[in-house]
Amino acid sequence: MTHLVVLDCEAVQALRDPGHPKHRRVVSQAQVVANRKRRAVAIQMVVPTAVRVEAGWDRTSPAWVFPNRLRIADSPLDTASANTAAGIRERTGVSVSDSHMGTVIQSAPHGQITVVTSDPGDMRLVAGDKNITVDTI
Amino acid sequence: VERQTAIERINELLDDGELETSNTSMRIPTALRDAAALAVKELGIASSATALTTTALRVTLEAIVMQAALDDHYERHPQARPDLGDLAIAAAELDDHPLAGQPGRLRQAAVEIAANHPDASPDDVLLWAEARALPAA
Repeated sequence: MTHLVVLDCEAVQALRDPGHPKHRRVVSQAQVVANRKRRAVAIQMVVPTAVRVEAGWDRTSPAWVFPNRLRIADSPLDTASANTAAGIRERTGVSVSDSHMGTVIQSAPHGQITVVTSDPGDMRLVAGDKNITVDTI
Repeated sequence: VERQTAIERINELLDDGELETSNTSMRIPTALRDAAALAVKELGIASSATALTTTALRVTLEAIVMQAALDDHYERHPQARPDLGDLAIAAAELDDHPLAGQPGRLRQAAVEIAANHPDASPDDVLLWAEARALPAA
């Protein structure tokens, strides 16, 4: 079962900007993921596409070349996940991107899920019944 | 620049969803080929030896290109390179390790273990820190 590492808006912004106070911290997470991939551990970093929108992550922009190279997969907002996200937003009142975070968490197959976030409270809220590890940056 | 271009191109190729295949002549150790065939037939770990080889190659390339991107980033931004303590903390946080909330203890363990084992991994640090936290018998 793949260990999913889901990044929130501040995590990806910190990753992009070497001057960001949390840059080294998020790079450390990426380095640990790389170490584990090298040992053939099933682990994958993902970013919900609504988080990319909020963070301004345009994959065609040279400003985002470093995160682009780290093989962080997009988790898109398709019809089914948009419905789930709308429900989460209706119930909890969180932002669109946090609702999409919740959808990614809730729809993930059973396995380890770690959320790298600056907002642990909202992440636990949108995770619902799903057991997650919250890595607060 | 050539290294950066190679990283970009490898990522593009890994992301290419094209299903076209090529017949490749590759000399591999006979024993390894036979072990793969046996693993497929008797252990059912993949649909074919080709599928097993392809998956293993993809996993390896993904790990290599991710590390290459990180190394390139560290060259240009040395301050972003995490030390062993940073990596141990990141590993603990990703896994919700019992010592995740004790970064000072993990940094101390990293210093101690690196003194005798310069190639220690973040997981080695966690193990050492955990052992140190156990009450003496």
